[in-house]
Amino acid sequence: MRTRVFARHGAILAVSAMLATLAAAAPHINAGNTPPRSVFLRLPGDAPEPRVAMDLEARADGTWRLRIDTEDFTFTSLCVTEAAAVPVGHAHVIVNGVKVASAFHPVVDLGALPPGEHDVTVVLRGQDHRALLGRSGMIRANAVVSVGAG
Amino acid sequence: MAFPSTLFRSRPICLFAAAAALCATPALSHEAWLLTPSEIEALALEPNPAIFQSRLVLGGGALIASFAAALALAAEDRFRHIEDRLASPIAPYAATLGALILRLGLAAMLLLAATGGLPRHGVVAWTEPTLFVPDMQLQMVPGWDWLIAGQALIGLALAIGFGTRLCGLAMIGLSGLGLGLFGMPFLSYAPHFAAPGLMLALIGGGAISVDRLLEDRDMPPPAPVVAGILWRAALAAVGLGFVYLSVAYKLTQPTLLIAILEHGNFPSFGLGLDWIALLMTGVEIVCGLLLALGRLTRVVALVLIGAISFLAVTLGETPLFHANLYGMMAIFAMAGPRIPAEAPRGVAIFGRVEA
Repeated sequence: MRTRVFARHGAILAVSAMLATLAAAAPHINAGNTPPRSVFLRLPGDAPEPRVAMDLEARADGTWRLRIDTEDFTFTSLCVTEAAAVPVGHAHVIVNGVKVASAFHPVVDLGALPPGEHDVTVVLRGQDHRALLGRSGMIRANAVVSVGAG
Repeated sequence: MAFPSTLFRSRPICLFAAAAALCATPALSHEAWLLTPSEIEALALEPNPAIFQSRLVLGGGALIASFAAALALAAEDRFRHIEDRLASPIAPYAATLGALILRLGLAAMLLLAATGGLPRHGVVAWTEPTLFVPDMQLQMVPGWDWLIAGQALIGLALAIGFGTRLCGLAMIGLSGLGLGLFGMPFLSYAPHFAAPGLMLALIGGGAISVDRLLEDRDMPPPAPVVAGILWRAALAAVGLGFVYLSVAYKLTQPTLLIAILEHGNFPSFGLGLDWIALLMTGVEIVCGLLLALGRLTRVVALVLIGAISFLAVTLGETPLFHANLYGMMAIFAMAGPRIPAEAPRGVAIFGRVEA
């Protein structure tokens, strides 16, 4: 009899218990308003925050060279599935909203840019490609370059 | 021929499954890579929706979901005979065509992973071999390049259905190895590759397989009682895998889910995307739990097939990202929670057909 009752109601008890547990736990987890951990890697607040600056250089052959200047950040070409919260990794180079390169070194050749204004952004990423988050958000540098016709 | 009438009678079930499918788009472990740089910048500043922090809303949602699940379970108990009758035309094919679909799905994923043919968003095709899925790049685990050849061999063997049961065991081994090599991030994938491996180890290669030609001599199947228990274990792994994904990527990262829905212009049906996200999370958790418990298996399988397809269309992804799930759900939709019966020889499409 007891077995039959469990067979009949065990599934709904299990579903209800699991849902109740998750409903109780989720508000605690979501209360901190932390950005999604699948996309962002928050650096510890007590460590020096990395800084990034950039310089775009027009070359004689019509191409552009990007130099990424960082402080308290180490470039590496080694990628891992789950990185520690340390300022080590690479940078993503974004031109006009489109990622064009992963920079594993501070110097990147962007090639020729078509005439017009180009918005270039560099964002520091961890070894697992998550965007590094400092105390004031993503660690990034931005510049606009104008390329003349001809 | 009973098929048209059963189809007609199953229309309400199909409609329910289609509606539920819109709310159960599973697996968000790789979709985060689809976000554009500006979407990621916006995501960094996005606060968690209030409803995902509210005990009242989440508790109420849990109550409603429990009530809905109770109704569905009661309906299953009451109408099980109808479900069995509706499924009777396709159930005998679970161990033949179902196994074939699962084999080919896994084979495609393994071969593409080994060759880098199904790369993560933003990675050039054929340049980065991976383990099972685009995120798990083998360059991140130096010294394990032999997994390229290992996956390719298993993929080829599964494609032709040679040594299927052994390949199934190898899939379980690779899933465990992946956990060891890649750590926690691989937990998003391991259950959904170990489970189909176990399923193939139990039912063999099915139709159009070399194993069928060789009369399934690669490995003897376990005793029926043991096979039944292991089949339930596979169901549990699949279901709990979905629960894990929905908790890890939806319930506790709601802004990511909402950003992906916005990215894919997901229809909101007049609701806020935060409510859509909550609904999707709840439906997926309930579906996963029911699968794990071996209840409402056919309905849940149909829901998940619809959901995965809808997600693929919305985000413009290839269905090959989820070929393992399609294969498993095809078998569950045909056979329900029970291990499919021994493949009837008469339905072999290729190979020796006994009189």
